[in-house]
Amino acid sequence: MLGATLSRWTMSYFAAALVCLVAGLILTASGFGYPSTAIEAPESLVVIHLFAIGWLGLLFAGSLLQFVPVLVSRPLEMPHLSLPVLLLTITGLGLLLAGFLGLAGILPLWSWVLPLGGAVLALAFAGLLWMVTRTLATARPMPLPAKFVALGCAALVGVAASGLLLTLPLSGLTANQYLVGLLLEAAPSHAYLGLVGWMTITAIGVSYRLLTMFLLSPERPRMTSRAVGWLMAVGLAMVAFGTVLAGAGTSPTATIYVATAFGGIAVLIYGLDVHLIFRERKRKSAEMNVLASLAAVAMLIACFALFGASTMSDLPIDLARPAAYLFVFGWLTGLGLGQLYKIVAFMTWLECYGPVLGRAAVPRVQELVNERRSSTWFLLYFGATVAATVALIADTPAMFRWLALAQLAAVCALAFEFTQARRLAIVPQAVRLPKGAIHPRLFLPSFKGSSQ
Amino acid sequence: MTTEFKELDVRPILRDGGEPFEEIMKAVATLQEGQGLRLLAPFRPQPLFRVMDSKGFDHEVFELEGGHFEVRFTPRMEETVAVSDNAISPALWPEPSVQLDLSDLPPPEPMQQILAEAEGLEPGKVIFAVLSREPLFLFPELTRRGHQWVGNYDQAGTAYRIMIRVGSGGSNA
Repeated sequence: MLGATLSRWTMSYFAAALVCLVAGLILTASGFGYPSTAIEAPESLVVIHLFAIGWLGLLFAGSLLQFVPVLVSRPLEMPHLSLPVLLLTITGLGLLLAGFLGLAGILPLWSWVLPLGGAVLALAFAGLLWMVTRTLATARPMPLPAKFVALGCAALVGVAASGLLLTLPLSGLTANQYLVGLLLEAAPSHAYLGLVGWMTITAIGVSYRLLTMFLLSPERPRMTSRAVGWLMAVGLAMVAFGTVLAGAGTSPTATIYVATAFGGIAVLIYGLDVHLIFRERKRKSAEMNVLASLAAVAMLIACFALFGASTMSDLPIDLARPAAYLFVFGWLTGLGLGQLYKIVAFMTWLECYGPVLGRAAVPRVQELVNERRSSTWFLLYFGATVAATVALIADTPAMFRWLALAQLAAVCALAFEFTQARRLAIVPQAVRLPKGAIHPRLFLPSFKGSSQ
Repeated sequence: MTTEFKELDVRPILRDGGEPFEEIMKAVATLQEGQGLRLLAPFRPQPLFRVMDSKGFDHEVFELEGGHFEVRFTPRMEETVAVSDNAISPALWPEPSVQLDLSDLPPPEPMQQILAEAEGLEPGKVIFAVLSREPLFLFPELTRRGHQWVGNYDQAGTAYRIMIRVGSGGSNA
């Protein structure tokens, strides 16, 4: 069969992801974890992994299940793994967080909890990789966006494997010299593999398809886009190499710097690509999701500028951690929220009105969301994120917590807008539920549907 | 469309007693998409034609002065056409009774228009539509409603063309 259908469990992934984002922001705003404690402290590890795996990991996994079929024009392979992968990710994350809380002295410490959490997460990611790579493998030749996703998959293997190895010495189960060396040196590489390697490379690849689609811009495999892929691949290989060496006691700082330089050049070229896609668009009005994506890309470039500045050793202020913060909240989260705004409305529209299209009057996708109100929340979100980054650079923790509260408010408001879209709450009554349309459930699949 | 050629002269290699096959394969591997290969050889490289054919290249042979040959290998532009599982003999479908240019509409409006058009037509009639890209979510919906379709991108890859033969009501109708 050709074409793409709705991914059955993607909306559940998104719901779980948003719960993690809200929980993480509540913790941050209440002073739990970084920056109130050191970034290596167990409390910080709780918050960081809640954002990285709970929010971003589930968001990306759910999106991949929906969009990899769109990239290769084939249905998802092994779709019945979607629910087990979701449940395993949540379970693994729960165990991992329990392990960190044990290290922080908040929960009783069982040393096996951390490695078990790592192993369950590795299993979950293996399931995700199985579905994604099998689906990609059906495409010959592979379109460029799909190649980015494949490269991102390689990084996901790296981040899951390094994470699992890190849990062993961290939980005290082993004093193996190599693993302890890894624990002392490899955390930045682990973060790079996840945030840049998996998520950024995947997001860049998928955006080449989605941005051109929403803007009616010609999609062509440009030389510049290929260069972005190659530069990212070299950076990724450097970091993987550095991670392996880290266990032997060699500091991987140099490889991270070089990889960041490669990544920086890559995102500059990517920024140029986005500019070209935007300039060649046939559709003049840009919707909220595109504007949010553009803001996110601007922040991505700013992050690498900050990372670059942080390598200057005589700076009296810490720029690397604020840059990482902006990377997670300005770039990845900003982009994620912007895309969710569109994807949730579109998936809901297709699920509800797909069967009656052409047979009855139906609303437009835009009528499922309130763009004016949502744009206020996006403005609040991005404003608070930039200000929070400045507060981190200026080292004013009290101010930072207020700004995290503002981020939390914006995210809650956007999550409310998403549920309004799912409920068809603002759709004009005359076209809300024509005969034959299926009212979607809030975040569970409707079991009667024929989509997967 | 004129094909751009990369030139490879294997005469010096053969003159020095070398084996050019590897060089030729290397040159083929570095060809850009759509690029052809112009090969200059002191004889007609008959065995190469089959190898290149299996790699998707047609050939044209020109005899040069001195009994040498120029062979132009041109990549075949394969018109891959996607066909719905339920489509029967698309080559025999009647001329389209409706032509739609939907290339300026943002998704999912093309899908909506095509489905609406199909509802108003008698079974057996054919719709031809041009879109800016492959309507991936439309394909399963067409099949579900019992319509048959074939489609592909134009050669420049900037427009997607689809022909739909209206069915007599699908499983969900």
